[in-house]
Amino acid sequence: MAIYSVGRKRVILALLLTTVLLLTLDLRGNAVIDAGREGFSQVMRPVETATGVITNPIERVWAGITEYDDLEQENLALQEQVDRLIGTLAAAEAAVIEGKELQALYSLPSLSGIDTEVARVVGAAASNFDQVIEINKGTASGIEVGMAVVNQAGLVGKVTQVTRTTARVMLATDSRYKVAIKVTSSSAADDTGPTNTTPSGLTPSEVEAAGTTTTTTLPSLPGAIVPGVTLPDGSPVPDTTLPGTAVGPDGRPVLDPLTGQPLDAEQITALLDALGQTPTTAPATPDTAPSADDATPTTAPTTTTTTTTVAEVIEKEYGALEGRGRLRLPQIKYVQDSPSLSELVAGDLVETAGGSESLAPTGIPVGRVVNRADRPGSGGPLLDVELYADLGRLNFVRVVLYKPLSEVDQ
Amino acid sequence: MFASFVQGPLVRVIPLGLILLALQRTIFVDIQVGGVIIQIMMATAAAAGVAGGSERGAVVGFTFGIMFDLAEGTPLGSTATAMTIAGVVGGLLALIAADPHWWLEAIFTALGTAAGVVTVPIVRAFIGEPEPFPPELGLVVAVCAAAGALLSPLLVPLGRWSLRMRRPEWKQPVEEPVA
Repeated sequence: MAIYSVGRKRVILALLLTTVLLLTLDLRGNAVIDAGREGFSQVMRPVETATGVITNPIERVWAGITEYDDLEQENLALQEQVDRLIGTLAAAEAAVIEGKELQALYSLPSLSGIDTEVARVVGAAASNFDQVIEINKGTASGIEVGMAVVNQAGLVGKVTQVTRTTARVMLATDSRYKVAIKVTSSSAADDTGPTNTTPSGLTPSEVEAAGTTTTTTLPSLPGAIVPGVTLPDGSPVPDTTLPGTAVGPDGRPVLDPLTGQPLDAEQITALLDALGQTPTTAPATPDTAPSADDATPTTAPTTTTTTTTVAEVIEKEYGALEGRGRLRLPQIKYVQDSPSLSELVAGDLVETAGGSESLAPTGIPVGRVVNRADRPGSGGPLLDVELYADLGRLNFVRVVLYKPLSEVDQ
Repeated sequence: MFASFVQGPLVRVIPLGLILLALQRTIFVDIQVGGVIIQIMMATAAAAGVAGGSERGAVVGFTFGIMFDLAEGTPLGSTATAMTIAGVVGGLLALIAADPHWWLEAIFTALGTAAGVVTVPIVRAFIGEPEPFPPELGLVVAVCAAAGALLSPLLVPLGRWSLRMRRPEWKQPVEEPVA
C-alpha cells in the first residue's frame, strides 16, 4: 500500500509544474514541440493503423446493433428527398445558369475559380471538449494552416495544424472557431413557392420525357445584386458556387435543389442512377431535329413551365461567427440592426465575408439564422446559426487553397 | 541511467500508453455512450493511482497526458495536467483502505477519472479558451466515471503490471498462546 509522504508530494508538484512550463512554451509557439508532435504522429501512425484493423470488426458490430433503426429511418427520409429532387432539379439548374450569368454581368466575385484539394476524413477528436477532425492531406498537397474547409453543403471549418501528409481541421462548432461573416436577407421570395411547378405524381421517366421549360423572373432593380433564387420547395439557392464544384457539360455548376449546394459528378450520377436514368441523357429540346438513325416513333412532349421568382438579396450586416461547442449552435456577434435597410431576423442567410486578411474567401455559404436573441444596451442581437453542413457526418471535404491578397504580396 | 530506465516503470508505461492512445483514437471515438467518448487513458491513470499510490499515478498520468497532447494537437500539458490529477486523486483515495475490495477500487477509479475530466475545462479556462465548460459537462463526467468504474477490474491490474507491482499480500498474525 502506498504511503503518502513529503517526498511523494514533491514529485507530484514537480510534475504539475512541468505541465505548466510545457503549456507556456507551447502556447507561445515552440519549434521543438512542433517537431515533437510531428515525430510522435509518425510513431503513432503504424500503431493506430494496426489497432484500427483489429478493432474494425468490433466497431461494425456495435454500429450494427446501435444504428440499424436509424439507418432504416434515414433510408426512408432519403427516398423522400429523392422524390422531391425529381421535381426541382431542372428548375435549380436553370436558376444557377441565370445566377452565374448575372454574376459575370456585374463582375461579382465567384468561388468556382479557386483551387481546392479533396481530402478524406480519417479521424476525429478523441476528447469530449474539442470539435476537430483529421484529414489525409497535408503540406505535400499545398494545404496550409488557416485555410477554409468546405463540403458540398457549405463551410465546415478551418485547418489548424498541418503535417506533411495529414491536417487537423477545427470545425465551425468548436468554441475556439471564429470567422468573419455577412448576413444577407433571404427576402420574401423564400416564403413563396413558384407560381407553377412540375406537376406532382409524375414518375422520373415521365419527368424526363416531358420537356421542361424554366422561366426565371428577374427583378428590375438598377444596381441590385441578384445572386440568389428560391427553389420550388422554398429552399434558397446561394449566389455563389463552392470552390472545386464540378460543373456540367455546359460549363455551369449543378446545384442540389434541396440544400442549394453544388452537386458533384458522383452525386449527379448516383441521383440519376437512383431515378433509373443515365447521366448522359440530354434534356428534350422540341426544336432539335431527330437524327436519321432514330427510327423510333416519337410523341409530342408535354411541356411544363416552371416559373421561379428570383429573390432580391440585400447584404444586411457584417459580423463574426463563433462556435460554441457540439450541442450549441454557432452564434453571430457584433451585429446591429440597420433601421434604414432592414432588421436581422430568423431566416437570414449567412456566408463568409472574406477580407484582405481572411483565409476564407468571400461567399462561402455558412448557414441560416434560426434564432435571434436581443441583448440590453448596445451589445446588439445574438443570432443563432444552423450550419448547412452536417458536421456529425463528414466523409470527404475540400480544402480551399486560397490565400488573401495580403499574404500573396508577402 | 539506462539501467534505471529499464528497471523503472516507464519501460512498460510508454508502450501501454501507445496502445491505449491508439484505442482511444479509434474504437473509443466510434463507440460512444450517449454521445460521450469514454476516456480510457484517463481511467487507466486513475487506476494506476489506485494500484500504486498518488506518486506513481501522477507519473503514469503525466506520461499518458503528454502522449495524448502530442497526438491530439491540444496544448501540450493541458491534458497532462488533468491526467496527473486523475492519478493523484485515485492514489489519495486509495489511502482510505489498506487492501481495498474490488468495488472500492472501482469507486476510487471512478472518482479519480471524474476529477481528471473536470480538470480539462478548468485548465482550458486558465489558458484563455472561450467557453471551456460545455453544457454537457455533467454527462461527460458521469459517463467517463461510470466507464472507469466498470473497467476498473481490468485497469487496476493493468496499472499494477505497468508499475511492476504486485498485489500486497496480508498475512494474518499468528496468535501466541498465553502462558
